[in-house]
Amino acid sequence: MKNTFWGFERQHGAVGTRNLIAVVSVMDNCNPVTHAIASAVQGTVYLPGSYIRGQLGRDREITLKVTAGLCLNPNIAGVVVIGLEPRTTLELVNLLAPSGKPVEFIDIQMTGGTINSIAAGTRVAALMVKDASRQRRREFSIDKLIVGLECGGSDTTSGLASNPAIGVVSDKVIAEGGTSIITETSEFFGAEHIFADRAIDPNVRESFLNEVNLLEKEIIALGIDLRGSNPTPDNIRGGLTTIEEKALGAMAKSGNSDLVGVLGYGDHPSRNGLHFMSGPAPAVESITGLAAGGCQICIFSTGVGNPIGHPVSTVIKVSGNRNTIKAFSDNVDFDVSSIIEQNESISSAGNRLFEYMLSVANGELTSSEVLGTCESAISRFGPSM
Amino acid sequence: MIRAIVLNTNDNVGTLVDAAKKDDKVSLTGELNETVTLVENIEFGHKLAIRTIDHGGKIIKYGKVIGQAVKAIKIGEHVHTHNVDALRARGDKKESL
Repeated sequence: MKNTFWGFERQHGAVGTRNLIAVVSVMDNCNPVTHAIASAVQGTVYLPGSYIRGQLGRDREITLKVTAGLCLNPNIAGVVVIGLEPRTTLELVNLLAPSGKPVEFIDIQMTGGTINSIAAGTRVAALMVKDASRQRRREFSIDKLIVGLECGGSDTTSGLASNPAIGVVSDKVIAEGGTSIITETSEFFGAEHIFADRAIDPNVRESFLNEVNLLEKEIIALGIDLRGSNPTPDNIRGGLTTIEEKALGAMAKSGNSDLVGVLGYGDHPSRNGLHFMSGPAPAVESITGLAAGGCQICIFSTGVGNPIGHPVSTVIKVSGNRNTIKAFSDNVDFDVSSIIEQNESISSAGNRLFEYMLSVANGELTSSEVLGTCESAISRFGPSM
Repeated sequence: MIRAIVLNTNDNVGTLVDAAKKDDKVSLTGELNETVTLVENIEFGHKLAIRTIDHGGKIIKYGKVIGQAVKAIKIGEHVHTHNVDALRARGDKKESL
């Protein structure tokens, strides 16, 4: 029997699992106005701007593209864009226009400063939320789901329990025509040769290996010992000794499916199936890339405990560490410690997690949504001028 | 019973899934069915050597190399950053690539 979920249909056939209005800054100097509007209107999410002003070249392009990608995520029903001046604002608005989503924009310079802009933005956001609330969920098949595969605050239980359980979910999503994306390039050091063998063709294999090799060469050219930052101090406290050990455990999140495509940071897949997205390992930047790539849901395994979620892509926290499940219970959504404690099979725990994920897709709220422990930040790839 | 999981028959380390003290007997589960006596206290989630590992020997978990011993490691000893080095992304050792 094929599984289904209940979601919100968007333009061009995409389907959201949430029905949110994004209030987004074009650049960081707009954040106070954007934050005030999002705080005033229930049903909106606050998307802070990351720099833009002073950025140049590829770095600026990526920031704009990822900002647009977050707004284009199918969980977003409409967008209120807050800019400083019209020219840059229009650059972002033009990236959103082809989606056919409702988009309104306000420029702080043209609207008479902070108070007037907050008032104008609050009015348009309130109307947008009312409009969006008329939409009803409908039933869709799993091929409309894009699931992000993430880990943070990993320990040795991540590789034994929570990551392999996520791998089962990823395989099930893909078997039903859906898509999943694994990222965190540096967390393939030591596991890349195994993952590369799952590529569907030599081009995909080469472009995956290229991303990993480029990053390792960059680290070596800088004369850096990666051990200063990855594994992190809490990974090491949790028993992870080297990046190779962490990588072999992290890769289990991708299950056994074929690797069909390699994506740049924040890029949307152009076909269904398992993808690799090039991107940094820290959770906030990483989930932001996955959300911009269109993931409605990210399944996030944690060993020693990482509380963070994302305002656009719903984050499910999974742990297999019985101590963390007890001590960090407010932030853990799903317990797979029975794999270690009661010899539950990985596939049985994975099937339970899949059912839970469908319930979340249908509207069940996760810890980070209820507590608002959400953050969004776009990676930098160059200097500001 | 104090348990350690061994993921591959070629592994020379196991992962403790219970906290354990010196002289505790640890039952290996998963791919091996043996008992190892600890020579020191080891925390939950940390690794113990289940085979003798020479100085410079590879540390094997998941059947794969996860690092290299920087000193000889005895059976039942804690295996972690104090006696293991990562081999990858070592810009401080330019020859690592």
